[in-house]
Amino acid sequence: MKRFTAMSCPYIAWIAVMIGVPMILIVFYAFTVEGNDVATVRFSLSNFVRFVTDATFLQVLGLSIYIALLTTVICVVLGYPVAYVISRAPGRHNMILILLITMPTWINMLVRTYAWMGILQSGGVLSTILGWFGLEDVTLLYTDFAVVLGMVYNFIPFMILQIHTSLAKMDGSLAEAAGDLGANAVQTFLRVTLPLSLPGIISGITLVFLPAVSSFFIPKLLGGGQYVLVGNIIENQFLTAGDWNFGSAISLIMAVIIMISMYLTRRAERRVSADRG
Amino acid sequence: MKKSRKLPSRVIIILTMLFFYLPILYIIIFSFNDSRSLTHFSGFSLQWYEKMFADDTMMAAVFYTILVAVLATAISTIVGTITAIGLSRSHRILQAAVQRINDLPVMNPDIITGIGLLMLFSALAVGKGFMTMLLAHIMFCIPYVMLSVSPKLRSLDPNLTDAAMDLGATPWQAIWRVIVPQIKPGIISGALIAFTMSFDDFVISYFVTGNGVQNISILVYTMSKRVNPSINALSTLVIVIITLCLGIANLVPIVRERRAKALAEGEGKPAMSRGKRRALCAAVACVVVIAVAAVGIGGSAAKTARTQEAIAKYGSATLKLYIWGEYLGENVISDFESQYGVDVIVEYFDSNEMMYTKLQAGDSYDLLVPSDYMIERLIENDMLQKLDLSLIPNRENLTDSLLELDCDPEGEYAVPYFWGSVGLVYNHENVDPAVVEAEGWDILLDTDYAGRIYMYDSERDSFMTALKALGYSMNTDNEQELQEAYEWLMQCNAAMSPVYVTDEVIDNMISGAKDIAVVYSGDATVILDENEDMSYCEPYQGTNIWVDAMVIPANAENPLLAHEFINFVLTYEASYDNSETVGYASPNAQVLEEMSGEMGLYEENEAYLPRTDYELDEMFHNNDTLRRTLSELWIKVKAS
Repeated sequence: MKRFTAMSCPYIAWIAVMIGVPMILIVFYAFTVEGNDVATVRFSLSNFVRFVTDATFLQVLGLSIYIALLTTVICVVLGYPVAYVISRAPGRHNMILILLITMPTWINMLVRTYAWMGILQSGGVLSTILGWFGLEDVTLLYTDFAVVLGMVYNFIPFMILQIHTSLAKMDGSLAEAAGDLGANAVQTFLRVTLPLSLPGIISGITLVFLPAVSSFFIPKLLGGGQYVLVGNIIENQFLTAGDWNFGSAISLIMAVIIMISMYLTRRAERRVSADRG
Repeated sequence: MKKSRKLPSRVIIILTMLFFYLPILYIIIFSFNDSRSLTHFSGFSLQWYEKMFADDTMMAAVFYTILVAVLATAISTIVGTITAIGLSRSHRILQAAVQRINDLPVMNPDIITGIGLLMLFSALAVGKGFMTMLLAHIMFCIPYVMLSVSPKLRSLDPNLTDAAMDLGATPWQAIWRVIVPQIKPGIISGALIAFTMSFDDFVISYFVTGNGVQNISILVYTMSKRVNPSINALSTLVIVIITLCLGIANLVPIVRERRAKALAEGEGKPAMSRGKRRALCAAVACVVVIAVAAVGIGGSAAKTARTQEAIAKYGSATLKLYIWGEYLGENVISDFESQYGVDVIVEYFDSNEMMYTKLQAGDSYDLLVPSDYMIERLIENDMLQKLDLSLIPNRENLTDSLLELDCDPEGEYAVPYFWGSVGLVYNHENVDPAVVEAEGWDILLDTDYAGRIYMYDSERDSFMTALKALGYSMNTDNEQELQEAYEWLMQCNAAMSPVYVTDEVIDNMISGAKDIAVVYSGDATVILDENEDMSYCEPYQGTNIWVDAMVIPANAENPLLAHEFINFVLTYEASYDNSETVGYASPNAQVLEEMSGEMGLYEENEAYLPRTDYELDEMFHNNDTLRRTLSELWIKVKAS
């Protein structure tokens, strides 16, 4: 047991410096005003008060969470069948399919998003195709649809990878056994396959929801500047307004919200695994 | 039975691939486009590929991206897996704690992680560049690996390891022979995610790198000021490289299988093939190391006599330039380098504030090209040094209107680089020029054009528009006037449903997506060049006449060479090259006259030459409190 703990010691030291120290700085900024200078530090909660008491900011926070949740749900619903099919594919095909899913993510996100802008643009590929079906002048770019599409496109590979990892390890004889014991295909899936792939879904949700909730390039480019999400506000506070204190406070609020939701998901997962065991 | 089952899976796979590869196909097609547009394909051309291969910065970026991604993936996969295994058998509380901390870089917006690391590296006084970028990438990759590996470990029977160890395996053997094979899919998907994250990262890399080390993302973001199809060409190149690698990787097992078969049939000695494989690995590793070393040595060995001369004259033969993306003439840097026997390291920013953040963290450059109000801010904070005007004789080439700058009234700190106005680009086929001239900024409230306008997504420019429309100064800090401007913008937002864009406006207006847009004059020059239905108008209520100028920071390491560069930019040739490539108005009187004059490059382009001596036109001044007020109000306008 001790020996195994020792294996993680170097990393614990590493995160203390590389993650811990910057995080402490952020917390420090969040709880001070005009604290750029150590000599004149003034502790204050005013950054948090400013955020919580402002209807616009709360509305933006709500929209960000809503869009991220929507993206996550769509990614699970669309990603699961794909992961399932891939995990049932024979050996080498399996590997190739996984690589085909991953490869688009190696093209720069901005470049891909620009490509979507071209595709969705009025007079672009998609609106031309829709025109053939009698749907003329459909506005696609700078809509909710475009934002969610861009988010799903960017993040769904992570969901597929995670679910696939879970499914691939699953013992195929389990499903067979369920079938032998009289379960039909739907029952087998709901009672055996799905619960067993739950850890994959959970880490997939983590990998989709977290970046989605703080992303700001995709909404900005596909939704237009009027699409303000929390990520945009944080970016704006750090880079344009130069108010690092307020920016830090907002990201701390986000961090707390996310941590709570992560805690809840993980507890739910544990409960399901416990039920199974 | 089996066939009917296969069909739906095929359909799913085909649809998925269509969705995944549609944009990729689009990128590849438009990398062969004849024009800059990303929406209209006007003809086949290889010019973007030529440009890409001729561009050293781009090729270096590809090299660094791949090197960092490969190293970061390898290191973080190994460390992450070992740590995850160790943790899986550690105390619950420790597990939970590490997991929580690991979540931080995953869930924090990149900009927080980036600025946090920037502060850390600055505090430790680590020289920024390749190493800092690699460390940062390892830092944010490991959590992804652990996130992938941990669930697999959790569903692993803990007795497996114990059994292996009972049977005499050491812990390391137990891990390598028993655990790792069981969790392999998790490790692979973790490595894939890590590679992706590293390959695609912009924000964190931007803040932790320096000394000219850039990855593809940094290049893409800072170059996107002007839609640059070379980036599509670059992406296509990356696709080709990856496809080749994957092809080889998929061939290797087949070849190996065949060989194994052949060996099994003959009297093969597996031990030898294993030794061979190791030798091969070692050889490959050696070649890589030598290649990397050669690049390094080659760089330092290239010191010619002229370089020595430059060192003797300026103290160092390197100039570190920090400038807007897409802001340099095609040959300006290479001409300067060959003429003076020096090296120029160019880094790009895409906003004044981004530049300021890096300077504030202690990064050192020899020459900056920020905008007027930012220069004021830099002067106020003692971050600039005074120029030695005797070293810049070409200053006499400046056009009259630029001899005195609002941000530097004594002319002690700044020498203009480009200048221009902000105005309205409109489609004269759909909008009557007389109406635009008569209404000026108020056309942005004219509901005849609702749904047909682009606003520029920046608080400064939007409030300028509103304040000017209301007849106030754009530098006002009168609360009543600001409130009115805020309401003006709210009304515009509600009645006109504008789309707020930044640099995308160039491509969107070239393709004629909307009829009216608020645009910077240099961008308007490009739009008018590409789409002849477009016109440009500087509203009668007055506008922002801005200047981007060259300044030398207080902590510059090579101010002498920076003076030389300023002087060089003001020559006729360099100024012409700059203005021709970028489209903004030149500070050089002769170039300005020629380009806008008879037979000039921009003779018929009304956006090129900014308005001068118009009473209502102003320049921005720096005002720290106003900046915050405006940025908060602007978010409220957009989010409403």
